Amino acid sequence: MDNQGKIKIQCGHLHKTFHAKNRKQDEVNEVIRDFNLQVRENEFVVLFGPGQCGKTTILNILAGLEEKNSGTVVVNDIEVTGPRQDRGMVYQTTALFPWLKVIDNVAFGPKMQGMKHSDWKKKAQYYIDLVGLTGFEKTYPVKLSGGMQQRVGIARAYCNDPEVIFMDEPFGHLDAQTRYLMEEEIEKICNGEKRTVVFVTNNIEEAIYLADRIVLLTNTPTHVDKEYVVDIPRPRDYTSPGFLALREEITARIDTTNL
Amino acid sequence: MFFPNPIEVLTYFVHTLTHKIGKYNLTMHTLFSLKRVAVGFGLSSLSGIILGVAMGYSKTINAIVRPLFNIIRPIPGLAWIPLAILWFGIGETTKYFIIFMGGFANIVLNSYDGTVKVNPVLEGAARLLGANDVQVFFHVILPSATTYIFAGLQVSLSTSWMAVLAAEMISSYEGAGWIINMGMQTGDTTLILVGMVAIAIVGFLLANIMRILERGLCSWTIRGR
Amino acid sequence: MEDKKIKVEVRNLTKSFGNLLVLDNVSFEVFDGEFLCIVGPTGCGKTTFLNSLTKLYDIDSGSITVDGEEINPRKHNLAYIFQEYSTMEWLKVQENIEYGLKIKKFSPEAIKQRTDIVIQMVGLDKYRNYYPSQLSASMLQRVVIARAFAIQPDLLLMDEPYGQLDLTLKYKLEDELIKMWERQRTTVLFITHNIEEAVYLSDRIIVLTNKPTKIKTEIINNLPRPRKVSDLEFVKLRNQVTDLIKWW
Ligand SMILES: Nc1ncnc2c1ncn2[C@@H]1O[C@H](COP(=O)(O)OP(=O)(O)OP(=O)(O)O)[C@@H](O)[C@H]1O
Ligand SMILES: Nc1ncnc2c1ncn2[C@@H]1O[C@H](COP(=O)(O)OP(=O)(O)OP(=O)(O)O)[C@@H](O)[C@H]1O
Ligand SMILES: [Mg+2]
Ligand SMILES: [Mg+2]
Repeated sequence: MDNQGKIKIQCGHLHKTFHAKNRKQDEVNEVIRDFNLQVRENEFVVLFGPGQCGKTTILNILAGLEEKNSGTVVVNDIEVTGPRQDRGMVYQTTALFPWLKVIDNVAFGPKMQGMKHSDWKKKAQYYIDLVGLTGFEKTYPVKLSGGMQQRVGIARAYCNDPEVIFMDEPFGHLDAQTRYLMEEEIEKICNGEKRTVVFVTNNIEEAIYLADRIVLLTNTPTHVDKEYVVDIPRPRDYTSPGFLALREEITARIDTTNL
Repeated sequence: MFFPNPIEVLTYFVHTLTHKIGKYNLTMHTLFSLKRVAVGFGLSSLSGIILGVAMGYSKTINAIVRPLFNIIRPIPGLAWIPLAILWFGIGETTKYFIIFMGGFANIVLNSYDGTVKVNPVLEGAARLLGANDVQVFFHVILPSATTYIFAGLQVSLSTSWMAVLAAEMISSYEGAGWIINMGMQTGDTTLILVGMVAIAIVGFLLANIMRILERGLCSWTIRGR
Repeated sequence: MEDKKIKVEVRNLTKSFGNLLVLDNVSFEVFDGEFLCIVGPTGCGKTTFLNSLTKLYDIDSGSITVDGEEINPRKHNLAYIFQEYSTMEWLKVQENIEYGLKIKKFSPEAIKQRTDIVIQMVGLDKYRNYYPSQLSASMLQRVVIARAFAIQPDLLLMDEPYGQLDLTLKYKLEDELIKMWERQRTTVLFITHNIEEAVYLSDRIIVLTNKPTKIKTEIINNLPRPRKVSDLEFVKLRNQVTDLIKWW
């Protein structure tokens, strides 16, 4: 995309091995081997890889939620050592605070930073409306359906205005229609407010629809297999020739490398 | 007669609600016991929760307190009675102390458990959203420990109620325990049963008040059917 | 349909939470040995239906019966794959899978044999000794699928089981499910958001409306098996279903 943009995420020679200590055995699991990624400001990058290859682990390391073994991770010109509010995360497992109502979950970030009551309320309401949960503000997460919980997670991340946002299969539990609507909303938000996004998905259509660049990952120990720049003009059409051709190309690559 | 008929017990029970047994009527006796539980249990809850949460939150505190606590923990509350009498005489302090020790260990352990079992993913999520250490403590660790803390409080409340009876049977001139003791000494089974009925009713009420409180504070765990 | 045996019968089912009416007088039946897919918008009450069927929720009115009687987990051989990850945190992968078999009192040899088969099938052989907290999301999902397959149920309830899986694995497990179903004539109730998946798997598809939820329509799907997603007939049916469920 625009090569002038300033570099937001710089991740070099990343390695990660888990040592899982289980009763007797000590399981060693090398998950990431020499992973490199550079993301420019306002770029929308999709990580596309097979199951359990380490996508969640990569996002966790970029967000500062997981320790790395070696390599450099710099986000926003700051070496990552722990979580910071300039980065946001939409979790694959939703990770809502079960003791907070929907509105308090969404407003958690602004509240922690001491925003005024009327301000956070308005802001949270805006995002709740955006994800289509109007009327459920006062509901606790246990009383929401899977898809509704996922949307609360999305609203919570956006409500905190992060500069960089990590999304880990955020639409896994949504039906096709809501998914399309949400994809469009995300697109709009990202173009309107311009944010840097790293997005994980296992849905190829979703990847092409949203991405400026798709980064294909290998099986574990994972690293970058190939990158595709997507320069189909937006808004994109799922059935346009360019779209279908790229879809073919990536699917073929996955088949041949047997990911 | 070892077991008087229920009607007799009931009429005597109603009668004593307003008429004196010893120095006070039954209502007053029960209130005396209640006050003792309130003080002893209140103190053990407050200090137990603070200590337990502190142990769970800070490894250092845990390392310092844990050995001491492990020695005290297996001793049942009632085993403290002789020592308590030697230390504090036979006044109210002794009774508070016995009740305190009856519930303390359980509250500490449960609060500790709740604090260490906080989901690390939620803690990370809060930090990513900009919460500092203090905020993580009050907005994530404490709320997720509440269900555990309440489980501890429930159990401790019933042991406290048990401890007050024991304390009163040993040395006092008032309270539900005293009534039972009195009945025993005079061979009055009706009086014993009246004391027991009073205890049962209050114990039942206390447990329910606790449950209602828990419902209020932990309503987010209730999924409903 | 001809006079097939009815496995699950739902009559006038109504269910609300407070004043939120979720299921509004829904009636349908599932035939013995049938593969039924249910699709509908998020939050319309699909999970609520399965939870009512398994008695996790009380219903307001109507009835749900299995083999003509109220459901009873001890009597009916059923497995339920929940939408949220329902692994047991304190058990390793292998123990999680063995759990259901142990409850049903299978012999140790049978337990080992069945566990080995399903653990291979979901590709977790290397991870037998891991605890759930050490697994990725799709691996958790596979543990639950394996646990359900191992007990070889007569009635299999699946709530969006394949949502988190990557394509290759999804296709593989769809085929495994079909194989099990054809071999054992299991009755399968399968909830999904993925229309392609529904058309690929089902005998019949029930399409639900938005809340308050009713049955919008049902589609008999008798494409010959094995099916191919690129077949003309397949694409036609897929588009037909997609058009039907445009609920905005
Ligand atoms: N805490 C942990 N201890 C040990 N191993 C772990 C831990 N967390 C993750 N792993 C391992 O790391 C590998 C990658 O996990 P990760 O969650 O990053 O995968 P993923 O690509 O996000 O997969 P999915 O598509 O299923 O979400 C898995 O093999 C998993 O077992
Ligand atoms: N225990 C509950 N208490 C109150 N409301 C509930 C409860 N469970 C579900 N609901 C409500 O019922 C509706 C249907 O929820 P359900 O989980 O059945 O949806 P679903 O069709 O499974 O959706 P999804 O595809 O997102 O999982 C939702 O609006 C939800 O908020
Ligand atoms: Mg993941
Ligand atoms: Mg559901």
